[in-house]
Formats: sequence, structure tokens, C-alpha cells
Amino acid sequence: MRKVVAAFILIILMLNLTSCYDAIEINNMLHVVAIGVDRGVSDKWRLTLQFPTIKGSGGGSQSSGGGGQEEYTHVTIDAPSFFAGINMLNASLPRRLTFMHAQIIVFSEELAKSGLIDEYITSIHRFREIRQSAHMLIVKGKADEFLKENEPFIGNLVAKSFQMLINESNNTGFFPRVTLEDFYSGLKSSYRQPIATLTAINDFKSFQKEGEPWETGFKTGGDYIAGKLPRIGKNKIELFGTALFDGGTMVGELSGDETRYMLMVRDEFERGFFTMKDPKEQEMIIALDVRGPTKPKIKVTLDDTVPVIHLKMHLNADILAIQSGVNYEHPKLKVLLEKEFQQIIKNGIEKVVRKCQNLNTDVFMFGDHAIKNFLTIDDLENYNWNSHFEDAKVTVEVKVAIRRTGTQIDGQLARDTERDE
Amino acid sequence: MIEEGKLGVQEAVWLITIAIISKVFFSGPTTMVAIVGNADWYVTILSAAIAMIGFVFIYLLLKRFPEKDITEIFNLSLGRFFGFIFSGILALYMLFVSSTRLAEFSEVFKVYILPLSPNWYIIGFFIVSVFVLSRLGLESMARFSKLAAYPMLTGLIVVLALSARNYNIKNIYPILGHGLSKTITTGIMRSSIYGEIIILAIFAKAFQGIKYIRREGIISIGLSALIISASLLAFTLTFPYYIAQELLGLVYQMAELIDYGPFFQRIEPITLFIWIISALISITIIFYSFVLIFCKMFKIQDKKPIILGGVTIIYAVSLIHKDITTIIFRNIDFMRNLGSIVFFILPLLTLIVAAIRKKGDRQNA
Repeated sequence: MRKVVAAFILIILMLNLTSCYDAIEINNMLHVVAIGVDRGVSDKWRLTLQFPTIKGSGGGSQSSGGGGQEEYTHVTIDAPSFFAGINMLNASLPRRLTFMHAQIIVFSEELAKSGLIDEYITSIHRFREIRQSAHMLIVKGKADEFLKENEPFIGNLVAKSFQMLINESNNTGFFPRVTLEDFYSGLKSSYRQPIATLTAINDFKSFQKEGEPWETGFKTGGDYIAGKLPRIGKNKIELFGTALFDGGTMVGELSGDETRYMLMVRDEFERGFFTMKDPKEQEMIIALDVRGPTKPKIKVTLDDTVPVIHLKMHLNADILAIQSGVNYEHPKLKVLLEKEFQQIIKNGIEKVVRKCQNLNTDVFMFGDHAIKNFLTIDDLENYNWNSHFEDAKVTVEVKVAIRRTGTQIDGQLARDTERDE
Repeated sequence: MIEEGKLGVQEAVWLITIAIISKVFFSGPTTMVAIVGNADWYVTILSAAIAMIGFVFIYLLLKRFPEKDITEIFNLSLGRFFGFIFSGILALYMLFVSSTRLAEFSEVFKVYILPLSPNWYIIGFFIVSVFVLSRLGLESMARFSKLAAYPMLTGLIVVLALSARNYNIKNIYPILGHGLSKTITTGIMRSSIYGEIIILAIFAKAFQGIKYIRREGIISIGLSALIISASLLAFTLTFPYYIAQELLGLVYQMAELIDYGPFFQRIEPITLFIWIISALISITIIFYSFVLIFCKMFKIQDKKPIILGGVTIIYAVSLIHKDITTIIFRNIDFMRNLGSIVFFILPLLTLIVAAIRKKGDRQNA
């Protein structure tokens, strides 16, 4: 009898274990890869969702290259809330929307500047389906337009393509890598402010096909913001620069170069190619491969009424190119080059700090160092670092060491009859 | 006479340790941060120290009454009537703890994993496991704990280590959290976190003598404090205090942030494994403690019908909670703040009465 009862219980259990009670077949789900949010017209929010059309899911229909291009589509709706929007959209979508693979959350600049972003973020941060590691972007222009242009440029998948694009932050430093968790943490903090990656659709108008050739002017390559890079090509989307916030309101933006300086202070800068004027031949440029291997040393003191911040930073660099052919590999000239580059970085950091102080937004995480001065949370919150940041005195000290000179240790100019004479 | 077999030190230590540390996976850390801020990771060490003092009372009591368990000691020290009352309080409290923990498990599980499954389904499946494990008895439970402990610990270490990329050492400041006085009072009040150490007294006869119980108690509290403190420190380093006090299921949330590129992310299932197994062991041993005390109170020799009745009761009780906030802010808060009275003060009172009434083996007193 016991065995019969045991067998019966096991069979019942096995039947239940064939799938979850609330299982949904993968074919019945629609995996949203990107969420766009604008200010609505018919209702408060304009919600745009991008997802694959899964037309190839029946198998067989693949292009000759193997692994055919996945097609993406998007839907847009005006709704009173994110969740109402999902339900409203499901009235016209024959599959259940799921956000477990949503990697991109894009807010329009207009919405970010209106100060409404925190209303939206706090509700989606609570939503279990959206991962905290999703990337936060602010788009110049409309988020729905952005998602229309968001297509895989190289490879098949939007999510993977975007993930790899975001990873380029580590390689260039021209834009920060900001997750939903980072942004939310900045929103709630009394001692740091949120930032977001700045993105835009490049209409390629900055690219001048015709005109006078460039002469001896100098640009670093990083003094642009998203949407303004002088380029043409297939992919219209670009990430460049940083959106600055004071609480839930976007108050400014940083260019690519300014973003690099900010990331250096935040200890988030990994690597980037820098271009500088040749100290000896001003019309020529020198390119450096800069890395930030050591943690910046930041000391914040609150002894007086104004906070004093001392920043000490050490960067390593390799020489990539010397157009002039001046022998900067030589120890004496190398010191000159290091000092010149140190000054550039120092000035850049001081300038971007002043800019952020004028906007009263500590995006450098100086507050994280200031909190060491407080013994209790109550003391810290009563002080309210964010309101004191604008008055802070900031001193910057930068050391640069040029470690390697590329594949050459004594680069010479190409021979030229005129120059030889 | 109810026999529970004989357990080795390792089995006992892992059984008690898992029963204690399972709280890390629930709302405990969140409420702790809400009270003491980022001082949570060392407040728990203070709680462990207080629990160690509480365990000294239990140890002295067991030493005074060799070869007796706590139910028998209550009777011998306090007399039949008050012994029955004390045993009843302990039994009811164990029933309350197991049903609350089960209800909390189902609610948190519903939030993250099975949002559409009804509670009766989640709790129902869990309760079947509790029933089976209880039927197998203490010895099987302890052996299962030892078996599960190593993969669980490995999983937890993997999650804590992989999260290192998200650690921000500055999150430990302001070092005193919400202040020293709050830290100390909370540390003392929340010593009930380690209250499962009383299981050593409930099943005292299975642990092969007072010498072993002392060793098992000290190691269990020490090991639990180490694991809980390390986990809380990891949460603190990952989430600033103002975020950590908002989030439910910090281990899960922390694992969700692990991202080492497209090929190494989404490792939350590891935490699920640890969470479910630890919850099963924890809830079962606490429920089984209730069963044993109940059987001893009413001199019932056959536990099987009590187990069946007991699981039916905790199934029903864990279903009738109003909502998740009631569980977290009322039931669990009550347990944390007053649990020490049941776990440590009752044995202390019994010890005092035994000393006054000159009960027990005075040579061991």
C-alpha cells in the first residue's frame, strides 16, 4: 500500500514538474530589446518599444551568408504610465511583451530636461523584468526616432551590436557606460549626481563633402557631442559625450574630451588615443595611447566653510605618432612631452570641474570621498554634499609617464630634398 | 521514546549554520540596512557575540541536566505546569518562525521567479519537501545539510567573488551608519538572528554529549557570523545604504549585476539554488523542532501524524498572511526584536530557577 501511495505522489509531482505553473512558450513571447521614452501628446508618456519580428523563427529562411539578418520593428504609444502602455500595446500585439532582454533604455533630451525622468525611472527600477544592468541613454532628439534608426549595422542582433558599441567606452573614453542601477543610485544620493550616455542620430550634415582643405588648425577629435561627428556611413547612431543631471533634471552635457576627463576623475577611464599639438612644432600633432592604471588619489577636507578637494592623478601613455619627426623618444625631450601633456590634462580637468560646479552637479564622485569626513549617515545627509559642491576649491595634480614609444625608438622624418638642403 | 539517532560535529554545525544563514537571502539584510545603515556588516558580529552569551546560558543549562533535552529540562527545573508553558511558548514560536519564513520565501520567490504562480502552488510544493524531509528525521536532515553545504558555500563564494567588480569600498562610509547607539541596541536586539542555536538544546540527546554541543554551538555561531557578515559587507560594497534599504532580495539583485561581457552574465540561477536549499533546510529543521517539542509536551511517541498535521497547519498559516509588507514589517520585525526572549531568556530563567530550586546535577552547575 505504501509503495502505491508513494508511486501516486511521485506521478503527481512529475506531472507538475513538466513545466512551471506559469510557463509561457518562447514562441508566445516578444522580447523587447530597447525601450524609448518621450514626452507624450495624447497622454503623459510616449513609449516606444523595439523588438525582433521573429519572422525567421520557423527555420530555413536564412540568407546565403549564414545566420540571416534579424528584422526589427517598433511600436509607439502614448500612455499614462509605462505599465499601462505595456497593457495597451498588448491589445494590438499577438504575443506577450517581455523585457528580460531589454538592454537599452533611451530617454529624449526634452524629457530629461523637463525634470520628469525620475518619475519614470523609479517605476521601471521596481519592475522585476528589467535588469539593473540595462544601459541608460539620453538621445538628442526623439527617442522614437532613435529606435527607428537602431538597427544592427554589423552582425545580426541589435542587442549584441549595441552591447559591443557600449563596450567601446572602455576603448575610447568618449562616452560613459551607465547602467540603470548607476543612474538610479545617482538619483537617490545626497552626495553624487547621475549621468547618462549621450546619443543621437547623426544626419551627416556635419560632414562637408566639398570645401577648402584643412590647413594647420588643431582639433583633438573629442570636442564633439553626439550627432555632430563629421562622418558619413550606414550607421546613423552614435554615442558621444555625457548628459549631466542635477537630481532628475538634465542640466548640461559634456563633449567627448570632457567625458574623458570626467571618467579619469571617476576612475572609469581605461584607455583612449589622445591627440596633442607638438610642443616644438605647433602645426604638427602627436598621438598618444593613454591608459589610467592607477587610482586617482582624491582627498576632500571640510575644515572650513568651503570644501577643499585635492586630486592627484597618474597616467601612463605610449607614443603612437610624431608627425614632426622630433626625437621625443630621447629622455630629455620625453620629459618635455610629458610635461606638456600633463598640462593639457590638468587644464582639461580643471575646466570640466568648473563647468560642472557652475551647473552644481558633482558627477566626479568627489562626494564618495567627502563621506569619509562624516561618522554617521545623519551627519552626512544634514551636510548635503550636493549643495556644497559648487563652492568647493579644487586643486588638480597630474603626472604623466610615457612608458613606450611604439615600434620605434628613434623615429626620423621621411627624406625630403628641400628639407635636406 | 523518541530517538533521533546520533550526529557528528560537522553534520550538526552545517545544519545549524544553514538554518541561521538562510535569512541572508530574504528581506533581513534590507531591514537591517534600513535600521543601521551601512554598519550592518559589523552589527551582525555584535549580534553573534550576544548570541554567544545566550548560548552560554543554554550550555550551562544542558550541563546542569546531562542527557536531557530542553523540554525535559523545563519540566525538571520549573515543574510540570511551568515546564509545559515554557515548552508550549517555544513550540508555538518555532511554528510561527517556520510558517513566517515559508510565507516570506513564497512572496520573495513570487516577486523574482514565479510572478504568476499562486501562493498555494509555490508553498504547496515546498511543503511536500518539508514533509518528506521531516519524515526522514533529524539524522537525514543533518546529513543532507552537510551534503548541500559545500556546493552552497561554493556558490555563495562565487557570487561574492564575481560581484567584486561592482564593489565600491567607499560605501562603508560613514563608518558608524545611523550612529553608535542605534548600532549597539540593534546588535543586541537582533541577536535572535542566531537564535536557531537553540536547536542544539531541543535535540540535545542526538549530539553525543555536552562537550560536543559546546563545540558545535561555538563553531555554528562563529561560522554563521562570518558568512552573514561577509554577505552583508558584499551588499554594502555593491549598493550604497540608500539603495540597499529599498531592495528586496539583495543576493539576487547583486548577482543580477554581474556582467563580464555577453558570455558571462545572468548567473542569478546560482543564487536560486543556494536560496531554495537553505530555505528548505531552515524551514524543515525549525518545523521539526516544533514537532519534537509538541510530541514531548503531550508524551506522543509517534511523530508521523504530528508531522502531517503540522505541515497542514504551516501550509494554512503561511497562506493566510495579508501581504508581503505585513510579513516583513510586522511578523519578521516581531521575530527579530523579541526572538531573543524565547531563544535565550527562557533558558536563562530556567537556569536561574534550577539554581534557586537546586535542581539538576549540581556538580556540573
